[in-house]
Amino acid sequence: MIELVVLLYLAPIFCSIPIAIAWGMEKKPDYARRLPILSVFGLFISLLVALYILFNVPDGKYVINWLPEYNINFVFIFDYLSKYMGALTAFIAFLIGVYGLEYMKDDYRLGWYWMFFNVFTASMLLVVYSDNLLMLLIGWEGLGLASWGLIGHWFRDDDPLSYVGIIGRKVWKLNMFWSPSFGGWRAISTIRFGDMPMFFAVAAIYALTGSLNISEIDWAALFHHIGTAGTLILMLCFLMGPFTKSAQLPFSEWLMTAMTGPTTVSALLHSATMVAAGTYLFMRISWYIEPWHVHSLGLEYVYILVLFLGLLSALYGAVVATGCLERKVLLAASTMSSLGLMFASAAASMWIGKIALYVAFWYLIVHAFAKATLFLVAGHLIHVTHNRFCVGDIDVARKMRLAFIVTIFATISLSGIPPFTAYWVKSAMDEVMHHLIHEFGALPLTLLILTSIAYAAFLAKFLSLNFINGEKTHLHLHGGYVMGLAYSAMVSMLAVLLVIIVGKLEPHAGEFLKEGFVVNSFIVGIAVLASYSFALYIPRIRQLSPIGTFLSDRMYLPFLNDFILPKIGWFIAKIIDYCNKAIDFFCHKAIPSAFEGWSIGIRAIQSGELSRYIKIVVGCVILVLAIISVLGW
Amino acid sequence: MELSILIALVILSLGAASVFKDTRLVLATSLIALAVAFSATWNAYTFFIATIAALNIASLEIMKRSQIKGLDYALVALMAIATIYVFFVNDFAMLLAMFVVVSVPTYLLVMVGDGKSNVDVGIKYVTFMVLATILFIIGAVLLVNSPYSSLMYVIGYTTLILGLCIEIGVAPMHEWVPDVFTAADPIPISIIASLAKFVPIVIAYKILVSTANPLTPFVTMILAILAAISMFIGNIGALTSKETSRILAYSTVANMGYILATLTVVINFNWIYLALTGAMLQLIVNSAGKIGFFTAIKEGKGSTPLMYTLALSFIGLPPLMGFWSKLFILTSLVYVGYVWLAIVLVINSAISVPYYIRIARNLSKGWVLSFANAIALITVLIVLITIVPPDWFVEAMKEFSKILFISGV
Repeated sequence: MIELVVLLYLAPIFCSIPIAIAWGMEKKPDYARRLPILSVFGLFISLLVALYILFNVPDGKYVINWLPEYNINFVFIFDYLSKYMGALTAFIAFLIGVYGLEYMKDDYRLGWYWMFFNVFTASMLLVVYSDNLLMLLIGWEGLGLASWGLIGHWFRDDDPLSYVGIIGRKVWKLNMFWSPSFGGWRAISTIRFGDMPMFFAVAAIYALTGSLNISEIDWAALFHHIGTAGTLILMLCFLMGPFTKSAQLPFSEWLMTAMTGPTTVSALLHSATMVAAGTYLFMRISWYIEPWHVHSLGLEYVYILVLFLGLLSALYGAVVATGCLERKVLLAASTMSSLGLMFASAAASMWIGKIALYVAFWYLIVHAFAKATLFLVAGHLIHVTHNRFCVGDIDVARKMRLAFIVTIFATISLSGIPPFTAYWVKSAMDEVMHHLIHEFGALPLTLLILTSIAYAAFLAKFLSLNFINGEKTHLHLHGGYVMGLAYSAMVSMLAVLLVIIVGKLEPHAGEFLKEGFVVNSFIVGIAVLASYSFALYIPRIRQLSPIGTFLSDRMYLPFLNDFILPKIGWFIAKIIDYCNKAIDFFCHKAIPSAFEGWSIGIRAIQSGELSRYIKIVVGCVILVLAIISVLGW
Repeated sequence: MELSILIALVILSLGAASVFKDTRLVLATSLIALAVAFSATWNAYTFFIATIAALNIASLEIMKRSQIKGLDYALVALMAIATIYVFFVNDFAMLLAMFVVVSVPTYLLVMVGDGKSNVDVGIKYVTFMVLATILFIIGAVLLVNSPYSSLMYVIGYTTLILGLCIEIGVAPMHEWVPDVFTAADPIPISIIASLAKFVPIVIAYKILVSTANPLTPFVTMILAILAAISMFIGNIGALTSKETSRILAYSTVANMGYILATLTVVINFNWIYLALTGAMLQLIVNSAGKIGFFTAIKEGKGSTPLMYTLALSFIGLPPLMGFWSKLFILTSLVYVGYVWLAIVLVINSAISVPYYIRIARNLSKGWVLSFANAIALITVLIVLITIVPPDWFVEAMKEFSKILFISGV
């Protein structure tokens, strides 16, 4: 077992060390540009191990002692969630790695790229398989670090293709364009903001229960012990990590500007790692908290919050995406939307039971493949059009037939058009939200349907503006075979998933099938289809362009990130600056000069005159005797 | 014991008479008398007293042209015998006599110098000492004869403390200290700053413990305030002084503040042994440091490691003796309830750091091989003794605290 674990994590990292070293050399050796193949080989080993775990390792835990006297150990858990998620992560990372061989072949910083790419994958695998919260945090922070490295990969900020937003555009005082280095900073700062409370929450969980293993903690007793307010505070602190990592409102901005990184990074970040880590963690703890069995008011409040935060983020992301004209930013907004749906669905488990977690998890899987595919296609398009905005008419579809077909299949599979893959999962999700009518009325279901309709619309818009109805553009076609192979393989997984669901090859996924035949679900499916068709036909409505601008400016949420928060930060910095100056003044000026003055004053008595001394001493003696006589009377 | 002291005094007198023959004879008889007195009382604290006295006598060798060459050995030996004896005396009249016996030789010593005698300094010093002796003796007599818990006790206590303050140089009655320390010859000053300080403190302990009554906590306030003032004035005054002997003068004022503070223990007899340990160790630290520094001043230079060790001992760095003395003073202060005074002491220890380092830096000149430096080396060995934690000294002080009471009071 230990060999498997070591291979799983260390193979990708060790295989990327040669290129990191080679690239750091004063004079790059000739073979350096061939070393990425070794990195991808490391990813391939990880994939093999993950597949082996999926098919051959029984459910259970594997423990490597670390600090046994404190009950803190490396605990690897192999259960339904981690086995599938691990295989998914390794598979997608490997395919994107293959794609990256071609996509990144002329890059100027390959050592940096591959090292962080593989650390990213290994970190995610650590998050996926860990039962121990401290070990999970190690992976979690690895993700944060690697995301910073990768989003800011093109740190020279010299390539307009790597920016987000229209360069030079200003709204009021604020620049509405973001460079790669700024994007990296926004990512790490937002994530750290959430990680801090999460870290304290983990510490509190350990202090309160004496254990860090998610599957072993008696959650019900814990919540009972700390009461409603305690549960609220603890869980909200803990969920700040997932909320920021998975870019839920109002922490979504970093995700949009994470598009400054290479497209491969966006693809990996948005499908199986990083953002998925947040929802995955929420599913994992819900899996073991079993909120449907816990009677805790505080926990119920938390799940209500997650439900509606998820639904609102989903709607926000979908609506914003309909207004976006940048290929990758559009997809980024859509990812945020999907993550919201995952959170909402997982939160519904509080009232519906474990089935809601299965729905959320399967949606994660479907979304991962589809979104990775779309990002890889977008990357290919950016390469051949030298443009990060949506451009391309039917000519593009003709010349890039494979990309065109892949995009069609990915979009219809993801938007939930019957009978394609996501339709069955979405139907189950409709049913979950439908069940919540008893608790919250029709609001959750309404939000979900609105999100689904907007979701289909922007996916169709993406297809239409890039391949059918967009502006005419010049294509620089050369190569692209490896990239095509990678996204074809990726999209084919959607077909595999469809077979698994429809063929009931996986018992839980098979459950979704009957939800697909419910009339309501079918009606929603038709509405989605209508929305998709409409947007395909009319991708842009010029008359509505002010609204579109408002949406593509992400409803001016950047002001929160780039204006209000910095103002608060500067305010605090100013206060600290004043405190610093005060301390400097006291320590370097006031106190020394006061002591100097006193010291000189004390020594000024010494005139050398005896009569003066005697006067002082006799005066003191008489004074003290007088005082003591009066007091002692 | 009395017999041995008598024998020592006889040896000393005969030796002193031989000053007209040979001064080296006086040196020998002084040391023999000291040895006789010490062998009769063989004890941890008398050991330190005898060592310090021997160092004082040895340091007089450095003065080449003393006006009372030869006699000065005998005077210091006399002081040392009185200091050893005072620990064991329970008779009130004898205590006062010892006070005078230790005080008067210093009048003479302070005027001694290499070359011409310092009469100006002598007058200043003697004036203060006379005032101190009168106040101390009046206070002592009032205390011993006052009715139990009366105003007379209060006045007697205060008078005695004021006398003590002038005698040992506690602020704000410290005016003589900086002048005398800078103007007189360093060698006699090292004696006044070391050996002469023990007797007044021991006598004050004995009298105050013997006369304690319900009014004591009230009058102890004035003592604590004087101690705090002395710490601040001593340490702050030393901060910006440039002349080394002036810094040491203010350092003495501060150190006497620390020692005076231990007298607050009279309000709670349980911790007398702790306070005594602190006070005696601090006196020893002060003596060792002053002897080491003043002999270096006389010489104009000192060995770097020795000077820094002495400075660090004054600052209170473990395991040097200066750490233990302050530790015991602080614990006794906290136990008797004078927490604020303990805090003041800690603050003052911090204030004192720069000037002690400055003294060490002023005097340090690499490696110096000389007789003065050998004396400094022995003082360093004294402050290094507490590498062995001083439980043994605490035990000795426990024994001593049992014989503290004056008979017939």
